Amino acid sequence: MGCCFTTDINQGDSVKPLIPDPSLDPTSGSEQNTGTLPSNHTDEEDQQKSILRRAALSIIDVSAVVSQGLEQREYMDRARQYSTKLEVLNRTLSQKNPVFLPSLTSQPHQVLAADLVTYSDLQQLSKIAAYAYSAISQIKVDAKEDVVVQFSI
Amino acid sequence: MTTALTQGLERIPDQIGYLVISEEGVLASAGELENDEHTAGVIMQMVRTACRFRLHGTADPPFKRMSVMFEDYVYAVTISGQKVFVVKRQNNQREPVIV
Repeated sequence: MGCCFTTDINQGDSVKPLIPDPSLDPTSGSEQNTGTLPSNHTDEEDQQKSILRRAALSIIDVSAVVSQGLEQREYMDRARQYSTKLEVLNRTLSQKNPVFLPSLTSQPHQVLAADLVTYSDLQQLSKIAAYAYSAISQIKVDAKEDVVVQFSI
Repeated sequence: MTTALTQGLERIPDQIGYLVISEEGVLASAGELENDEHTAGVIMQMVRTACRFRLHGTADPPFKRMSVMFEDYVYAVTISGQKVFVVKRQNNQREPVIV
């Protein structure tokens, strides 16, 4: 049979497969049909496995990235570093642009307490503004000649 | 220092609020403009724009006071000593009724 210490000469049975290979056995009909389904199944399985393998290679696991988080200490160090850099930048920016407010008066309370703009002045201002708007809207280009001129050299 | 600034503003007739603003921020506020940083910001922008106007190439801005007029109230704005003073005053003027 093929066991140890046997003197059986016929060793062929020992390598005989338990499940017959359907591709090598053309005679069995029903066995053949049931045999082809498993092979298709394995093909599909192989295809699925290759698809999964490709997806696994191209997938980016975000949760894994997050889990490599900063330690509290490193986080605080970085925050301090960034804020000092920002402070330096703010200082250089404000130095470049010293905006001085011109002094309009030395008597602010007097100026603010003075009479308000009268209604008639407001009406006049509105009229002037309306005239100005009308004048501007009437500005148009009067094309007299060609802009592009040929020079004969 | 704040009381010296605000004392005169409080005595302005018909005033219903005021702001004193510097480049750093609001120095004092009261009445309807109390803690009104939004209005302070808007008025600072308006004043900075207005200060850029010049008449006939003169060196100084051509105005002493800027007035933002609404129907019922007015914001009167001026600048003195690097500080912007804003007063909200009631506007009692109405269209004159012709009888």
